[in-house]
Amino acid sequence: MNRTPGPTLFSLLRWQPMAMMRTLLLVGILLSAGALCVTARMRASAPPAETSQLSPAASLGKKIFFDPTLSASGKMACATCHNPAYAYGPPNASAVQYGGPHLKSSGYRAVPSLRYILNYVPVWTHVQDTNPIEQLAEADTAPTGGYTWDGRYNSLHAQAMLPFFSTVEMDNRSVNELATKLSQASYAGELRAVFGKDIFAQPARAVANAALAVQQFELQDNSFHPYTSKFDQWLDGKATLTPQELRGKQLFDNPNSGNCASCHIDERGANGAHPLFTDFQFEALGVPRNNEIPWNRDPRYHDMGLCGPFRKDAASKDPANCGLFRTPALRNVAIRHVFFHNGRFHSLREALQFYVQRDTNPEKWYPVPPGGTVEKFNDLPAADRKNVDTIDMPLDRHPGQKPVWNEHDIDDVIAFLKTLDDQDVPERMNALGAETAHDSAK
Amino acid sequence: MHRESTPPDREMPFMTKRLLSGLLFVCVIAFSSTAFSMHAMTAAGRDAHPVIPQIRHVFVITLENKNFSATFGPRSDAPYLADTLRARGALLTQYYGTGHSSLDNYIAMMGGQANNPQTSADCQTYADFHQTGTAPDGQVVGQGCVYPASVKTLANQLMDAGLTWKGYMGDMGNDPARESATCGHPQLGAPDLTERAEAPSAAVPAGDMYATRHDPFMYFHAIIDAPVCNSNVVNLRHLADDLRSISTTPNFSFITPNLCDDGHDSPCANGEPGGLKSINIFLQKLIPVILNSPAYKQDGLIIINFDEGGTGTIKESNTGTVVTVDGASCCQQQEGPNLGRQYPIEVKHMSHGRLITTRTLSFGGDRTGALLLSKYIRPGTVSSVPYNHYSLLKSLELIFGIHEYLGYAGQKGLVAFGPDVFTGN
Repeated sequence: MNRTPGPTLFSLLRWQPMAMMRTLLLVGILLSAGALCVTARMRASAPPAETSQLSPAASLGKKIFFDPTLSASGKMACATCHNPAYAYGPPNASAVQYGGPHLKSSGYRAVPSLRYILNYVPVWTHVQDTNPIEQLAEADTAPTGGYTWDGRYNSLHAQAMLPFFSTVEMDNRSVNELATKLSQASYAGELRAVFGKDIFAQPARAVANAALAVQQFELQDNSFHPYTSKFDQWLDGKATLTPQELRGKQLFDNPNSGNCASCHIDERGANGAHPLFTDFQFEALGVPRNNEIPWNRDPRYHDMGLCGPFRKDAASKDPANCGLFRTPALRNVAIRHVFFHNGRFHSLREALQFYVQRDTNPEKWYPVPPGGTVEKFNDLPAADRKNVDTIDMPLDRHPGQKPVWNEHDIDDVIAFLKTLDDQDVPERMNALGAETAHDSAK
Repeated sequence: MHRESTPPDREMPFMTKRLLSGLLFVCVIAFSSTAFSMHAMTAAGRDAHPVIPQIRHVFVITLENKNFSATFGPRSDAPYLADTLRARGALLTQYYGTGHSSLDNYIAMMGGQANNPQTSADCQTYADFHQTGTAPDGQVVGQGCVYPASVKTLANQLMDAGLTWKGYMGDMGNDPARESATCGHPQLGAPDLTERAEAPSAAVPAGDMYATRHDPFMYFHAIIDAPVCNSNVVNLRHLADDLRSISTTPNFSFITPNLCDDGHDSPCANGEPGGLKSINIFLQKLIPVILNSPAYKQDGLIIINFDEGGTGTIKESNTGTVVTVDGASCCQQQEGPNLGRQYPIEVKHMSHGRLITTRTLSFGGDRTGALLLSKYIRPGTVSSVPYNHYSLLKSLELIFGIHEYLGYAGQKGLVAFGPDVFTGN
């Protein structure tokens, strides 16, 4: 049994006044705070061929999602970074993507996949025990939820507004500018039909409704939650995992080994729902600094996730939140070429090696100044490195200890993670490859 | 005006007095002509208060993690409970939890089984209890969470007596992927994903703050393996309908609010303040509904208690933080056969670079206090008789005319609610 889709457009429209207020506030924040997310140089692949039963708003949202004319460059759409051929993830190995008016403005963080989780991202919270003694005695009170790596958006609608105005993405400088582009789009008539004939008289409403349409596309279209992986078929008793894949799952699950499933939940829900492979909690892994990101050339620049630089609310003021990023979902992880929030690693094997060897062989992952000691967790200011998880298996190891996995184990875990690839992904990638080759021939 | 009930036999040693009282109590019940109805008992040499009145409908509402002084002391954040309701009922000032964490307390209330290392850690994995033997006072020896079918609960006793019961659980089933809407628990052997509250999302607009560890019925195969589990352990929203008539109101209702309404969390996953403030709001809504129900008006009793107190101290120093949990108990509570700890115990962990040392001095659940409401209770009653969750279980068994005490409810000399509580007509 797969999970059910999200709320209907009708139910969302009932909240429209509040959504409008949030939207206007968000636009203001975006314009003042500057760029936030990630971009790509390459064009988006074609929209998914199959279209599920979409509402008029969702059908409209699909057109907006794939429309590069809404960007300052005229070459970047939502689908440029969130490419359906790559499970709505990044289509290349670049740590961050590039956008802005000339597609030369560097993004800040790796692009996540949009598949599966959008309906289920809880609003950002940091629930704690009331009793201060229990707060201290119980270690597991991590913040949870919110959209994007730092959880700063509590609705998909708000998140969907982000790329339109980010200076390193689609780079619209005002609501009026984007509303004008929408009014000139080929689907402007559909915008009027769905949201009212006078929609363009109020630019803010036009933009907010465009984001709402994108949200509906993301929630309704089956291509965002196909549940066609071998793992899903195995859960339904329609496929058999190989001995190697099963060994990999055991290593993934074992709390005294990989302990991955403690955050990347891989068990069926109580109603049989297939798992999302994330618990949406925040975690500090201490991923090494990635010098591929142009912003990191400035040694004073630090991406500290939950406590900034982009998040500006009260949560960002709590030093205990520095270095924490939201746990990503792992479905289709094996097709990715960038891993972790800063895209520091470019192969799944390397990401897994880091995970199990971070503390047993830190010199392999962090710089060692001449005559000095390993500078662990070097992507964070020294004062915030204490927030990195050194408690949970396998992050509690020490130099001299054996990593919990050897290379053979990693082979097995990779084999298991490959079972999370949706069946349509290779088909889409092949189709994209053929198309690209065809274009090259031209 | 608050009235402290006066011990009737001042010259009699306290324990002897309680023992005699308990024995007499049992004797009277044994000769009672009806199974569960009235156990009016007159203690020799005492005034003629009915000890167990003709109560037929009991509502237990269990809240979370508050010590007595925070809840019932001056400037309480729950004035509706601490002042308004207190003036209408009986305050038990010496009511104690029986364990530290949540689950061990709930199991004590429902089955009389003592703490074990897994239940004292809230059973992060929902796993079977593996029994290896038996011990005095009906204790099963072993480790784990979900007790075998041979271990009975108050619910089983009620069914055997032809009485009805239900568990009303706040938020249960809000997210059907997290737990089912009836008899909601993780799969056996699986991690308990209800250990943390779930905030609202597009798919689950209300969020889900149900916690299996606060639902005692889920830890007994005698309940979860029976079809009655699905009909009797339901979402709290069904309570209001069930209260509409006496015939639809269970004889025994166990009410667990969600993790916000029971005061466990603060702030809550739904953005509400939590703690005693949310307890106050919750009780202001719920209690009048029960008070106005036909069943309560006829012969009802409401018991508002807390799982544990969490009393202790926090000391900061240059080397770290030392948290001391008292773990105090009353009523000669026994540790039981399964904990196997030498107190005090010390656990250390690092948090944000700081060493946290938690010292737990004993196995008890500290003093919480409890409040009872009934037409059989004189408003403003205050009792300083020590009680704990095992006393509660024994009291419920007596109220319903059950002649067998489960687990430590049968502990020699354990005192049930008596004339210090039921002071009205």
